[in-house]
Amino acid sequence: MKLLVIEDEPSLLTSITRYFRQEQFLCEGVTTYNDALQRIEDSPYDCIILDINLPGGSGLQLLKYLREDKKKDGVIIISARNSLDDKIMGLDYGADDYLTKPFHLPELSARVKALIRRKYAGGNTSIDLDTLHIDLAARTATIEGQAVALSKIEYDLLLFLVTNKNRVVSRQAIAEHLYDGPADQAPGPEFVYSHIKNLKKKLKEKGAPEIIQTVYGLGYKLVV
Amino acid sequence: MSQSLQQRNTRSLLTWLPLVMLAGSVFFYLMLIGHIRHMKHQQLQLKQNNFWNAYALDTVHVPKILTGEYNIAPGATKQDAEADSANLAYMLQTHQLNGRSYTVATYISAKEYRHLLIKAGTAEAIIFIVLLFAIIIINRSTSRKLWTPFYSTMKAIRGYDIRHNKPFPVDATTGIEEFDQLNKTLRALIDNVDQAYRNQKQFTENASHELQTPLAIIRSKVELLIESPNLTEDNAQLLQEITEANERLSQMNKNLLLLTRIENSQFPETIPIALSELLERQSHFFKEYYENEVAATSTTIQPDIMITANPALIEILVNNLLRNAYIHNIPGGWVDVRLTPGTLIIKNSGPPIEGDPGQLFERFRKGRVDNRTTSLGLALVRQIAQLYHFEIRYTYQEGVHQLQISFA
Repeated sequence: MKLLVIEDEPSLLTSITRYFRQEQFLCEGVTTYNDALQRIEDSPYDCIILDINLPGGSGLQLLKYLREDKKKDGVIIISARNSLDDKIMGLDYGADDYLTKPFHLPELSARVKALIRRKYAGGNTSIDLDTLHIDLAARTATIEGQAVALSKIEYDLLLFLVTNKNRVVSRQAIAEHLYDGPADQAPGPEFVYSHIKNLKKKLKEKGAPEIIQTVYGLGYKLVV
Repeated sequence: MSQSLQQRNTRSLLTWLPLVMLAGSVFFYLMLIGHIRHMKHQQLQLKQNNFWNAYALDTVHVPKILTGEYNIAPGATKQDAEADSANLAYMLQTHQLNGRSYTVATYISAKEYRHLLIKAGTAEAIIFIVLLFAIIIINRSTSRKLWTPFYSTMKAIRGYDIRHNKPFPVDATTGIEEFDQLNKTLRALIDNVDQAYRNQKQFTENASHELQTPLAIIRSKVELLIESPNLTEDNAQLLQEITEANERLSQMNKNLLLLTRIENSQFPETIPIALSELLERQSHFFKEYYENEVAATSTTIQPDIMITANPALIEILVNNLLRNAYIHNIPGGWVDVRLTPGTLIIKNSGPPIEGDPGQLFERFRKGRVDNRTTSLGLALVRQIAQLYHFEIRYTYQEGVHQLQISFA
């Protein structure tokens, strides 16, 4: 999978590219409008992570250019401007998703993967991990054919962990992900553990192995 | 005690004008008397001269007495027979003729002079009284007209609110130099204050905005670090503390930014919002999210209640209220949400808040030491409520917190 990250803050850019490279993404990073334009013209990407405020131009302009040129690259806007207008405008211009800064890397990663999944799934909207089967359309999980009765929060939690499999996901990232409103209004991470506990219990009841690990006090990791 | 300018002005006129006029009257009266005395004297003197001259020329035919006119008597008399008559004024003079002394008394009527004095005095009193009233009336009406720009300036100042971002409506062309100056000075003052206020707000917004980038960088680096394969438990503990502090800082910064943006009226777009649906959805989420801590959530939400406001702000309002009800609760407690047209009531079990409930909505005020809240949540609620003129009432009674919001 080929990824382009356009972000003017070099330190943030390296964090993002490093995070994705750890998952075997081919990840390129640029910090300016002109560099970004060059890359976009040179080759197609599976997903472009696009900051709006760039030296030399606006990310929205890039997006407009991309869509006018009928390029199909998936685009996720990352912006510090948390206003509804920006979001609506971004999506109007043809962005596939919009994420407000500051975000959690696992969240960005989940968005990118969801986008790529939508792009290439072609009707096959399910994830299989070992004996675990997740039907994305029906929003259900089964283990060896047995349905696991999950609440909405537990399902979202499981899917988030599965999407970020083999990575440590912090409790804060989980709390923000579970909340379906604006991320900065999400409840605190203090009760994430109780949902994890319930989820683990339910998976265990259906005979699944212990796939969810607790990483000290930091977060959780789904290991396969 | 304060009086209005007009009262003060009238009072001082009423105090001083009669005094001045009284003094004027006394002076006038004395002058008049002086003049009358002088005139009497002149007239009597003329008569003396005329009659004496006539008598001296012809002592035989000219009579010695003409009642009411004169009386010539030999010798030097000091007293006159007719002098006691109140209506007569007289003059006694001693003249010499052929070695003999004669006392000549001349008379004029004093009645006319007395009448003149009374009439002139009365006329003067009437004129003074009319003048007094005229002066007061003219003074009042002109001062009322004169001070009109002042009162309109006062009204403008009273109606001015720095938070509303509206221009200060005073006119610097009132036609009166002092008021023009006053208004110009005021406008300059308000412009300066306004500018300072705007800069202050802009600064807060910019600062919060700029803080976001380093906060995001710290967060991303920590997220890379927690995946390091040789992480020890000790380091994990440190990282955990760094994360928590950074998240709190982040949250605080976001709320601060939000507060400033509301203050800067950057949420102008208002649309009808299905409040019932929003509340239903949010309370469902919170109920599920906190189901292991807060045992019971009951909701009584009347359907189809709409509210016209900014959707983002209303979501923040509802969210903060709900979150507060769950966070400031007790293990195994309950939350009750009730929505009726015009009123939202959120009740929850919980320990009493410490300190003054009136300060509950102040920024950075906390009831308990609790690192789960940034202590800006209720300040946000208040700011939003103020923006839309909602009324918030908080009460605490026997372990039950109740927050009521009335939508106008």
